[in-house]
Amino acid sequence: MKEMVKITFALTLSCVIAASAMGLTFTVTAKAKKHNHHMSVQNAMMDLLSFGEDHPVPSDLAFHNVYRYIVEDGDKKFLGYMVPVEKAGKEVYEMVMVDLEGKFVEKLEVPISEGQAEEAHDRASALEKVLPPNQFFTYADASAIATAGGQRLGYVLPGKFPGFRTFIHVLVALDPQFELLGLEIMEHEEDAGLGAEIEQEYFKNQFKGKSFETLKGLEVVKKPMPQEYKKYLEKSKWVEGMFTEKQISEIRKQYKDSDIHAITAATISSKAVTDGVKNIAKKFAYRIGKLDGVLQEQDIHAAF
Amino acid sequence: MSTTTKSNTQLFMDGILKENPIFKLALSMCPAVGISTSVMNGILLGTAVLFVQVFSSCTISLIRNYIHPKIRIPTYTLTIATWVTVIDLVLAAYVPAAYKAMGMFVRLIVAFAIITMRLEMFACKEPLGKAFWDALGMGLGFMFAMIVLGAVRELLGSGMLLGYDVLGFKPLLFFVLPSAGFFVVGLMMAFFNWIEVAYNRKKGV
Amino acid sequence: MKRLRQYAWLVGLLLVSVLLVGCETGHKFVKKTAFKDTDKMVLVFAGPVDESWASNVGNFSAYEEPDPDIVLTIKETILSPDKTQVTLIFADPVNTGEAHIVSATNILSEGRDLGAAVLTVKKLYIGVLMTIFIGAALINNFVFTKYLGLCVFFGTSQKRGTAVGMGVVFTIVMVFAAVMAWGLYQFVLKPYQLTFLNVVVFIGLVSLSVQGVDTILRKVNPMLFKAFGVYLVLVIANCIAIAVPLILADNEYSGWESFALALGAGLGFLIALFLMACVRERLELAQVPPSFRGLPIAFVTAGLFALAFLGFSGLSIY
Repeated sequence: MKEMVKITFALTLSCVIAASAMGLTFTVTAKAKKHNHHMSVQNAMMDLLSFGEDHPVPSDLAFHNVYRYIVEDGDKKFLGYMVPVEKAGKEVYEMVMVDLEGKFVEKLEVPISEGQAEEAHDRASALEKVLPPNQFFTYADASAIATAGGQRLGYVLPGKFPGFRTFIHVLVALDPQFELLGLEIMEHEEDAGLGAEIEQEYFKNQFKGKSFETLKGLEVVKKPMPQEYKKYLEKSKWVEGMFTEKQISEIRKQYKDSDIHAITAATISSKAVTDGVKNIAKKFAYRIGKLDGVLQEQDIHAAF
Repeated sequence: MSTTTKSNTQLFMDGILKENPIFKLALSMCPAVGISTSVMNGILLGTAVLFVQVFSSCTISLIRNYIHPKIRIPTYTLTIATWVTVIDLVLAAYVPAAYKAMGMFVRLIVAFAIITMRLEMFACKEPLGKAFWDALGMGLGFMFAMIVLGAVRELLGSGMLLGYDVLGFKPLLFFVLPSAGFFVVGLMMAFFNWIEVAYNRKKGV
Repeated sequence: MKRLRQYAWLVGLLLVSVLLVGCETGHKFVKKTAFKDTDKMVLVFAGPVDESWASNVGNFSAYEEPDPDIVLTIKETILSPDKTQVTLIFADPVNTGEAHIVSATNILSEGRDLGAAVLTVKKLYIGVLMTIFIGAALINNFVFTKYLGLCVFFGTSQKRGTAVGMGVVFTIVMVFAAVMAWGLYQFVLKPYQLTFLNVVVFIGLVSLSVQGVDTILRKVNPMLFKAFGVYLVLVIANCIAIAVPLILADNEYSGWESFALALGAGLGFLIALFLMACVRERLELAQVPPSFRGLPIAFVTAGLFALAFLGFSGLSIY
């Protein structure tokens, strides 16, 4: 009996020590992890909007995050957009509720700062305080709207869709007319050398510059990619004098509305990315149109 | 109190050559086959295993006189799991891109037989100094094997080393594909066997 | 033999109940809903419906469950000759991976108004489970495609008897551990934000399962225990045993999906072991060069199997 007690005590003590060691590491590293994630997303967004050496960042560049929620009241469903609004020189968040057809229902002020709003947990607790208890909300997605000089520069949308293996996480950048500015693959688990080639420039950069109309009907073709087009797409490998200005604009015009060339032996991954990007762009364009209509009609001064 | 007669340096070198965990002891082969697609992966996973091995060995060696014999294995498992969680959290926070390349393998270190075996056979009987050197040798041996495998596969599969284009073309994409891991490890093991046979023959054994 | 038949009945009953639950549609007059091709949905009714109602596209509306505000365009509807099936044809391809909600306004059948219906159209749940099961067993075979559990794999694949024993024991322990892991993850670790304890908790669960199966087997079937007991300890050193709970936590699988994953993983391991054992038994009698004897040639064989299993990678049954 005494043995059992000794054993149990020793085991419990070791568990407690182990748990506290891990808990300590967790709290210390959690902050660094969030910061790194934030920085990588920021860098990807800047890349997508083509800010770099030859295109300097405007001093008043700002990203405004709009969070979309689905709110259920009994058997009625609404969309709730958490929108940053300018009120008396400050930025606060307001929850703008619209019904499924896009008509305004009501707006509520949400007591949360911009930094806090980036945390799903903080957003959820703030919303719980503001919404009546019989309404259930689920988080849908977030969109970032980039502005500078009082104008919208573009939209950066995170998205996720099933690929060949598991999910593929992407970041899609659209300009104010919903033309595709760029695509960045954030996370995937595709096969190395096959599906993983979606990360390569010669696949990703095909999407750059496609107009919204082309995007809506974009398909994948299993044709081999012309060498010249491939060299043009691999921007990072350009050398001096490789292309003249005339050649660049000619190639761009020629392939502007063409379909996406699939990666050899990775058609499913290529199709998954194309369809995924198509859906993200189409759905966002539809929703931001409705949201802008509501904001204008209700005279809400959004920060974008 | 120590039961071994080997010196510290001998322990260290044994871990790398004579008792190399992957090539000689044939333990912890999962990452050798799955993740050795590049030298960088090898270095990263090698560092993680080294960390876990060294810290676990030292911890167990320090508390070896207080471990109740009946709960030996759970204690080892708990120690290893704790250190694996720690290195997992640290890597995820500070080198996220590289960490993602390794997928689940960092967390799988907890199931590596080599670490538990080393604790059972060595760390629980030896003082801190000897345990440390043995663990260091084992960990570095693992990293060495992973780097060699990674170098072969990366060079032959994608013509690169550490991300730098060395050959300028991809000789045989097959080597980067996961199934080649089996072939490369098998061939390397045979190679090491052959060297040992030739060496012994020379020595007249 | 009799016991086996009883077990088979139980399993069959379980499957049928899952199937029935999965068929629930939401309106008593609608018997079944299903996807068809890439752009159609079929609604099957318990009786004939009026042609005037069925041919009016405006009576139907559909959206993907997570996007209730985006209404999909229905091009046309087709009524079957016996008037019990309505096929909705959509303008764009339908994403069959997502559940869809279809609302039909007041159904008119033989002049009677049977009320409006809100129906869910999604892939049969049993199909989802089968995909996970076959995925874990063949397409993403844990040994040949994911390279896990190799130490134990090479250690116990020398004889067919050993291989089968190891595989069976592993499957049993895996199923127990996975279901417990799912329970703990969903009800304790996630709500209290303790996910960093995943690794420790899961390895603890595996050890607990091994201990549990050990005790149960000793009491229930000592003969089985004598044959298979020695393999139980090896389960803890098997990477797959910790990989399966980690996967189901990362992908947020439901209870049944975790069960399917564990069963598939165990079965895949058994298949891999058995195939390998068959080959290695033959290799014992072959003339292998001295440097290659033992493990090296086994690795090369495994490599060939891995290449063969690559052939499963496009398999998609649902």
